[in-house]
Amino acid sequence: MSTRTTAVLRSAFADAAARRSAFWTQIAAMIVNDVAWVAFWLIFFNRVSSVRGWDADRVLLLFAVLTTSAGLVLGLLSNCRRIPTLVEDGSLDEVLALPVAPLPHLLVRRVDTVNLGDVAFGVVLFAVSGHPTGQRLLVFVAGSLASAVLLTGFLVLTGSLVFVNGGGRAGDLGLHSVLLLASYPADVFTGATKALLYTAVPAAFVSAVPARLIDDFTVSDALMLLGAACLFATLGWAAFTAGLRRYTSGSSWGRG
Amino acid sequence: MRLRRIGVPADVAGRRLLADRDGWVVNCLFYLIVSGVLSALWRAAAGDGDIAGYSAAALTWYIVTAEAATCALSIRLIEEVGDEIGSGAVAVEMLRPVPVIVVRLVAEVGRGVARLATLLGPGVALAWLVVGPPPSAAGAVLAVPALVLALAANLCLQHAMAAAAFWLRDTRAMWFLYQKLVFILGGMLLPLEVLPDVLRDVAMVLPFMTMAYVPARLAAGHVEPVLLLVQVGWLVVLAAAAALAFARGQQRLQVVGG
Amino acid sequence: MGAPARDAGPAIEAVGVTKRFRGASGRAVDAVHDLTLEVAHGERLAFIGPNGAGKSTSIKMLTGILHPTAGEARVLGFVPWRERRALAERTGTLFGQRSQLWFELSPRQSLRMLAAIYGMDRGAEQRRVAQLGELLDAVDLFDVPVRDLSLGQRMRCELAACLLHEPHILFLDEPTIGLDLLAKRRFRELLVTLNEAGGTTVFLTSHDVADIEHVAQRVAVISAGRLIYDDTVPAMRRTMLSTKLVDVGLERPATPLALDGVSVVAQSDSDVQLSVDMARTSIRVVLASVLDAWSVSDISVVDPPLEQVIAEIYSERRR
Repeated sequence: MSTRTTAVLRSAFADAAARRSAFWTQIAAMIVNDVAWVAFWLIFFNRVSSVRGWDADRVLLLFAVLTTSAGLVLGLLSNCRRIPTLVEDGSLDEVLALPVAPLPHLLVRRVDTVNLGDVAFGVVLFAVSGHPTGQRLLVFVAGSLASAVLLTGFLVLTGSLVFVNGGGRAGDLGLHSVLLLASYPADVFTGATKALLYTAVPAAFVSAVPARLIDDFTVSDALMLLGAACLFATLGWAAFTAGLRRYTSGSSWGRG
Repeated sequence: MRLRRIGVPADVAGRRLLADRDGWVVNCLFYLIVSGVLSALWRAAAGDGDIAGYSAAALTWYIVTAEAATCALSIRLIEEVGDEIGSGAVAVEMLRPVPVIVVRLVAEVGRGVARLATLLGPGVALAWLVVGPPPSAAGAVLAVPALVLALAANLCLQHAMAAAAFWLRDTRAMWFLYQKLVFILGGMLLPLEVLPDVLRDVAMVLPFMTMAYVPARLAAGHVEPVLLLVQVGWLVVLAAAAALAFARGQQRLQVVGG
Repeated sequence: MGAPARDAGPAIEAVGVTKRFRGASGRAVDAVHDLTLEVAHGERLAFIGPNGAGKSTSIKMLTGILHPTAGEARVLGFVPWRERRALAERTGTLFGQRSQLWFELSPRQSLRMLAAIYGMDRGAEQRRVAQLGELLDAVDLFDVPVRDLSLGQRMRCELAACLLHEPHILFLDEPTIGLDLLAKRRFRELLVTLNEAGGTTVFLTSHDVADIEHVAQRVAVISAGRLIYDDTVPAMRRTMLSTKLVDVGLERPATPLALDGVSVVAQSDSDVQLSVDMARTSIRVVLASVLDAWSVSDISVVDPPLEQVIAEIYSERRR
């Protein structure tokens, strides 16, 4: 399996690299975007020394983890956000004609190198403002990876709704919502909203928990993060598999 | 006769709008999430006190209004217009007798106001539920025309920038830059009073402040009617800029041959 | 051949295969109803039908992409929808509108990726790619980015992609759509060559009647989900495909013309459409007579539309 995956990934990279058209303008736009966010937080914390235990440093850690994790997911496994489109335009059928497990192949089949710019930004941000030490770096990497796994699982899960309701515009809403919510420290919220961020829309685990771990490592937090990552990865895989079964054997009118 | 020439495209645009119900719902959900998140952040920051003269309640009303002003506009307008120009669709429109820019603007403002109405309903309900009524009834009333003026100004500037597509052909980067400028200097993410002194002074003289900050400040309880005059002033300037940019672009398109 | 078939039975066997869909109104529609079909190893079958007749649905069931609502099928001894991956290692699929090849890369690079997927080692891959290049006359295409290839050139490379792993069966779903006449002819010739040289079974869906004449040994016709005809091409040619249509554009209204085997289908002052029975006369004779007798501004010879062939089949059936 891994030689196959590497082969597909390698082709995906080459294909993406050849699509050089708007590459640099997109990178520039991404940098502007990320810099603007950092500027926002700096302005914010210029007024307010800390909010519910979160100060400027920790929020920048949060942002570093988020950009690294989202960059990895949207860059390397970029198809995880496109599952509704791929199903509706018949690309799924193409994959089913090959002797491969459909989900992994679908995920690695396209690379959006532009998003890897976000990974670079996140790493640089951590290096500059994250007070990196050996241990903190290790937690940063592990936390970002766990976050990436969770995010992928979440996107596959929401994307698999296409098998049930036909997708539609809601597709990217899941992605934008979780990214938006993960851009803020979860502790800012209270009550039901906060509970939401630790469960159905796991934005807290995507950014806040890993950031907290870097500053203040506790085993319980670490286990929660790993648990959440495994949970959503499993849920995503299960939803896709169930949806695929429905697609192939179901009776909903579709693709003629 | 001229009015009818404008009225019909506006009506068609309105109809097309209604057909896109799903898009509206998604937009509204997104607006509520953004407003909820940002206002929660600022409430947490203000606590029982205030930030730059805004209480937690005032900040909530500020955010709800500022987000409505920006979410009411088509997210991809600059890209869309830029793409249309690049593809030559605008060349077709230019064959119509009424100036292109007027037709477009009327249609877009109409679309924006309709969207605004759908957003404000849930938005106001959300804010009221969380922090109670707006700090000042007068302010809330003034905020309504301010919102419409904000939309119009935003649209004019976007069209002026889209017209730059005549020269540039790739507008995505421009869109990003524009968006971020509005976010920070327009007061969408934060009240301008929060900015450090130098930045605040700069922001106050730029047109972006009319697009989110003015209606939001009014809704937050600072009854300063002079702000509406500032909006009108900027609107005139931006409308002229848009007309000029399009006219120049029209010339160039004819020269180049499209 | 690549990976072996499971047993010695026919290449494709379908019995009573049905696929029922429930439309939005709740009404059930059979996209495919009671399909019973057998294809022997090395055979070339054209699966013909108008748009929406159920061709794509049938092929998807035979390749395991869709599960049928009822019925059984075996392809190379495998049940397609239960053993999709095993079957995929032994079959090649070409969907006319879709592409296995990466758009920005050269076909050779895509083939490298596919070779990894099929578990081929470098040596086997290189040998096979060279062989396919020769066979498909595509050697100088393999290193050109796909986006720079014409559609006809791309389709030849797509063929290489589905033949890389030496499949027993080649499933093609409307492969000649969008190709110009010359490219179509080349493609059809390639299919015949591949079949005769390598023994690959060819299962081809199409709504182009010319695919029957130039590729198939056998033809099955599906209409509204039901198989209405299944016979060898020579037999069909004898009974069905004996007509051609001649469209004549006129400079002056036509004078009456009586020719053996020719009847007038439609006539106006500027156009005449003739139906020619190929069993009784030849195109050469008809064209010569027409050009001689009338002032012709334009003339074309076309196959009767598929709908007409199918209508003929229906009426044959009813006799």
